[in-house]
Amino acid sequence: MTPGRVELQIPSRSAYVGVVRLATASLARSAGLGEEQVDDLKIAVSEACTNSVLSNEAAGAGAAPVTVSFERLPDGLVVEVRDRGLAYEPRSPETTVADGADELGDDRFAMSMALLASLVDRCEARSRPGGGMTTRLSIARPR
Amino acid sequence: MELGLNVRTSGSYVVVDVKGEIDVYTAPKLREKMIELVSEGSYDVVVNLESVDFLDSTGLGVLVGALKRVKAHDGSMALVCTQHKILKIFKITGLTRVFPIHDSVEEAIGQEAG
Repeated sequence: MTPGRVELQIPSRSAYVGVVRLATASLARSAGLGEEQVDDLKIAVSEACTNSVLSNEAAGAGAAPVTVSFERLPDGLVVEVRDRGLAYEPRSPETTVADGADELGDDRFAMSMALLASLVDRCEARSRPGGGMTTRLSIARPR
Repeated sequence: MELGLNVRTSGSYVVVDVKGEIDVYTAPKLREKMIELVSEGSYDVVVNLESVDFLDSTGLGVLVGALKRVKAHDGSMALVCTQHKILKIFKITGLTRVFPIHDSVEEAIGQEAG
């Protein structure tokens, strides 16, 4: 298929994250990604959307939507997830490695960051002027 | 999107068979079930993830929380999983060193008992 762009907007509610996963799987396959990459991208996009939904809620912006755009490039796929939530710093996977559950705690966010950093070729999160975060995920098609 | 939970006992163990997708929407259902089991006095739990199609950090958070609850009662929690895509999530987050992960429920129960 030729390069192109698809944009999805979902309400900031947990029930809609699964819808984004379905779209991700379909678009990733049609962009020529392998099955393992499709699974990886589904998890990464799900993590980014979950963080955005929870971040919107935490920022009192629960009414704001989460926007997910998919851009098919000649060599892969770029997914951007935008919210109106608070800024955060992506952390490296090393910070989440735990020797026991007690040290790990329920740090879902740290685990989410580790997954985002590992499952796609590139993950960048930045705050936008005027508020909100954009998480940009890039994954290359196998050569 | 549905999350199926089936609870059965096997010897002194409670086995929770999970089916479907564990994400931010469905994870609360699993969390409630795990809290319910511990409050009923089930402290040795095997969570069977063989029929789970999707798992992310929300599901991992619930499993870690459940582990802490059973450990607070000197209990144990083991997982059953042979799916590459699910195991990968445990490896990336370092949780393979936190949970015993077995190939089958029988193996989980046998090894935990030994």
